[in-house]
Amino acid sequence: MSPEGFAGLPQAALFIETKHLSDRSGGRITWLADPNILYKTYSDYKIEEATMNKNKIYPRWFVILPLIIYLVFFLFPSALGVFYSFTDWSRMTSKNGLHFVGLQNYIDLFTSNKNYMAGFWNTIKFTLISNIVKIIPAFFLAILLNSRLKGKKFYRTVFYLPSILPFVIIGIVFSSIFSYNTGLMNKTLSAIGLGFLKQRWLSDPNMVWKSIFSVDAWRGIGYIMTIFLAGLNTIDDSLYEAAEIDGAGFWKKLQYVTLPMMRGPIMINLVFGITYGLKVFDIIYVLTNGGPGHKTEVITTYVFQLYGTGQYGLSTALNTILLAITAVIGVIIVKVMSRKGELA
Amino acid sequence: MLLCGAMTASLLAGCGSSTGSTGTSASSSSASASTSASAVESTSAADTGSDSTEAVTSTSTEAVSSTSGSTDNVVVKAVENKDQFKGEELSILVSAGWMDNRYDATIQRFEDTYGVTVDVQTIPADQYSDILQSDLANGTCPDIFWIQSNPVGAIESNIGNPEEYCIDFTGADWQNVMPESRQASCISNGKLYGLQIWHNSPEYVMVYNKSLFKELGITDVPTTYDALKEDLKKIKDSGVETPWFMPGADGWQEQLAFFQIGGVYTEDNPNLYDDLNNNKATFADNKKMLEVLNEFKELSDDGYFGEDWVGTDSTNLENEFADRTTAMAMANSSFIKQIQDDTGTKDEFGMFLIPLGDNTWYPTNPAGPTMFGYKGTEHEDLVKAFFQFVCTPESLQEILDNSPQYTNLDVNVDIEQHWLPEEKEFMATVDKSKMGVPVLQTGTKYTNDYWMDFGSDMISFCQGDISANDVLKNMDANRAEDAKAAGDSAWS
Repeated sequence: MSPEGFAGLPQAALFIETKHLSDRSGGRITWLADPNILYKTYSDYKIEEATMNKNKIYPRWFVILPLIIYLVFFLFPSALGVFYSFTDWSRMTSKNGLHFVGLQNYIDLFTSNKNYMAGFWNTIKFTLISNIVKIIPAFFLAILLNSRLKGKKFYRTVFYLPSILPFVIIGIVFSSIFSYNTGLMNKTLSAIGLGFLKQRWLSDPNMVWKSIFSVDAWRGIGYIMTIFLAGLNTIDDSLYEAAEIDGAGFWKKLQYVTLPMMRGPIMINLVFGITYGLKVFDIIYVLTNGGPGHKTEVITTYVFQLYGTGQYGLSTALNTILLAITAVIGVIIVKVMSRKGELA
Repeated sequence: MLLCGAMTASLLAGCGSSTGSTGTSASSSSASASTSASAVESTSAADTGSDSTEAVTSTSTEAVSSTSGSTDNVVVKAVENKDQFKGEELSILVSAGWMDNRYDATIQRFEDTYGVTVDVQTIPADQYSDILQSDLANGTCPDIFWIQSNPVGAIESNIGNPEEYCIDFTGADWQNVMPESRQASCISNGKLYGLQIWHNSPEYVMVYNKSLFKELGITDVPTTYDALKEDLKKIKDSGVETPWFMPGADGWQEQLAFFQIGGVYTEDNPNLYDDLNNNKATFADNKKMLEVLNEFKELSDDGYFGEDWVGTDSTNLENEFADRTTAMAMANSSFIKQIQDDTGTKDEFGMFLIPLGDNTWYPTNPAGPTMFGYKGTEHEDLVKAFFQFVCTPESLQEILDNSPQYTNLDVNVDIEQHWLPEEKEFMATVDKSKMGVPVLQTGTKYTNDYWMDFGSDMISFCQGDISANDVLKNMDANRAEDAKAAGDSAWS
């Protein structure tokens, strides 16, 4: 950043930048410094940081063990999966032998009578919406539970608890809750005179996704909230005090203090959320098994079905497509985050 | 690194979790109905059975004679040298519902007799197929495993190459404990690999509340679709919420209405099964099949399956019957006793054939869960001893006596069967000439593996997402894929 870069920043933003540097360089600068002085200190700090990094040299062989584990348990099976996606591997292979079929499995996936593309779009849809309905409420919940709320530790625990429950248990419980005739949801609605709101929660094509997102949010919000809480705890109160002195209200503080300082936790939650969304399986499987009909099929439920019917080649081809999508999105996120320094 | 890990983990999670799929089917819990005539034969001394010349009919007739006890009474003895296996462990991989507690006493005696331990690994039905496939592929299969077998290639379809994975039991003493119809489900390329000990009660016919029918003035059970619709309307108008209980959430039940009436599809073309097995016919465009699917949808649209049959499972079926919130459901004969015993209802129950498509055919099904020995086992002799032990009269009687939900075992051994009066009554109404064609999922190749897919498609059809013919086309496409993988020359 040039000296000019420091000029014209709102006071709160300037404060954050200088405070950050001040912390990292032993408090030699003070906030609201002249931009030119600030630039000089900033340059000193960068040189110092480079020196420190230079001194942080560990023996290279430290990396060997994790590398071996990574190669054997991650990369090799993944590469093998990609290889098998170009073969006719099936349960009949032991009888008929394994043959290279080129792109045939991929062609079959796109031309099959089964609507794999619907599974693909459902996966994208789940990834986008599940992140929206979890991250935004979790963010505000974290802010709320980071305030001077009475009993906040209790609430934190309560909100976090669902995330430690196994999906199978959640599936059984919510299948029962969502049952049309005997489920708690419809019974409660009827009991309080809202019987007209009764729904076929898991069997109505127009309702099933909403039910899935609700259960997923119920389970996931607590976990995301915890990451946000950890981030919020690192924000110095004096930043908010300074902003308040400048007359900032809740939304201004959110915009100029909280959000910039929470870039890291937000990105981490996004990365986790996107990878979770793309490989979603459990929640769909336990609640609807892809139904009603094929309404909630995602890529992984199709992978599961194909594997179960012994079409391993086709199954790994679909999995490879999922890998490619995840990799592309992952690379984009890494690039964006690296540029912003979030992964530094 | 974090991202790489996450991405790779996601791939692996996909790979790892991709163990799975369609597993359960009607036939996973269905038994041989081919021999149901035997119930009549042995209990009411009715007509000796079919005079049809079809192959399947001979199966039925043999089964009749076998269970009537009028022919062979095969007596198998347990292996005598009791010390040779001491300390060994025998592992068994089985799907839920195939052994349950029925084998507990027999396994206990086996352990006591030979000083061994038996580890039974019971897997949920919907995961079983995937776990078995994975175990076979990885060489980690337990000593004994089960599959849902049938006489039309289920062994090859489920196991791939039985010679590679299965112990060859050819010539075993216990082979003739099974009726020949069942032996066909255990033999591949002339070699005996499996043992099928299963019951032969009427399976997945309509079980109905006879008392309720009488009270509503329904004196005759419906034998045509129109009569069924008329009765359903009468029942619904009387205030019964779910005239026909259809647990769509189970994922494997709605298909029964289509597949259990296999014989009706052969009325226009007696060679239909052969044609389907030789790729000379398709499900798609079959008029009778389309008719049945459309009838099913009509009943769904008219609300005769209840307000939310797609989201309802069968957990509460007994109570639904007892509370009279339902009047009928596709179930096994033994279910009647279960309703009465578990709920204490005083209502009487009966059975009739599924009348979709004006069906009058009996759901003959010489298929069932079948036990195989894993060729890679280190305890081959112990496996053989176990198979032999299970086939002794004492064990068979014990297995039946410990099976409250089954009234008989379809074996050529003199044991005391427990036929129900309702079974006798129902079988007396069945036209013996309509027992010669097996149910569709057992009589045609590559069909049963796509049971769950077909069910999902039926629901999609009922919800208006696809057409009836699409449901059938999908089955054709799935069968073709399977046939191609099997290297079936008829599809190449």
